[in-house]
Amino acid sequence: MSEQNDKKAFFSQSLGDNMQSLYSVALRFTRNSADAEDLVAEAASRAWSALDSLDDPNRFRPWIFRILHNCYISDYRKKSVRPAETAFDEQATADDDSEIACLLVQQPDEFLHWWANPEREVFNKLLGDDLHAAIENLPESFRVVVVLINIEGLSYDEAAEVLEVSPGTIRSRMNRGRTLLQKALWQQAQDAGLISQYNTLETRL
Amino acid sequence: MTSKPDKPENLDSDCLKAFDHLYAYLNGELKDPNAVAMIEEHLSHCRSCYSRAQIEREINERLKKTGAGPTPPSLEDRLKKLIDNF
Repeated sequence: MSEQNDKKAFFSQSLGDNMQSLYSVALRFTRNSADAEDLVAEAASRAWSALDSLDDPNRFRPWIFRILHNCYISDYRKKSVRPAETAFDEQATADDDSEIACLLVQQPDEFLHWWANPEREVFNKLLGDDLHAAIENLPESFRVVVVLINIEGLSYDEAAEVLEVSPGTIRSRMNRGRTLLQKALWQQAQDAGLISQYNTLETRL
Repeated sequence: MTSKPDKPENLDSDCLKAFDHLYAYLNGELKDPNAVAMIEEHLSHCRSCYSRAQIEREINERLKKTGAGPTPPSLEDRLKKLIDNF
């Protein structure tokens, strides 16, 4: 088998192994199946052209996710009609600690106590459709970290490689993103009247 | 952390310190054994943080099961043709 065929076989196998994850992440980026397919195809094309730059074949996964992310940044985000979220994102590092502390204080024990013994139907809704909506509404830089790590199973180091930031930044974005996620769930629980239901129930008991 | 603690505590600096490591801990990314010991000790006596950690564990489990589903056949065909032409 020629070197070119070996290279193609490796690429085909590696791409196939990651296709589902790539499509899943692309769909989260673009929120549209047709655009997600275009994005994965563009990333695959660029990855093939740049395959010689892959130093370690075992790092194919973070490598191609980085290419996917770069394709999204350079091509798709520019075309997006959604308002840019960069202004919010850029503030993320400045006041992380104070904001996280503030968010934690805003999540009173009331919610935590409710969570300890929730009504199952309500609980499933909160962690079903509401969880999806909460993820979709996260600012992009936090959403991407949560998707890569908690949904696609990348390590912090791999996510740092994909997004070309330090592992410390990944950790910070994870903390903040998940805090915002929990805050959103708390808000949804309140809006749905779940907390008042819990209080009523507790009063009866 | 072996049993559910029952001592309620208010949010304090220990909670914030524990929170700083919570997601790395739950995501299996906390490598420093001292930090692991610190957070486990805190979760063993702080009811609020314990409850918060339980919520986050549950969310982690749900997120792991979340995905876009199977790859569309149209994308598989497209990539196969793409690779054939390389």
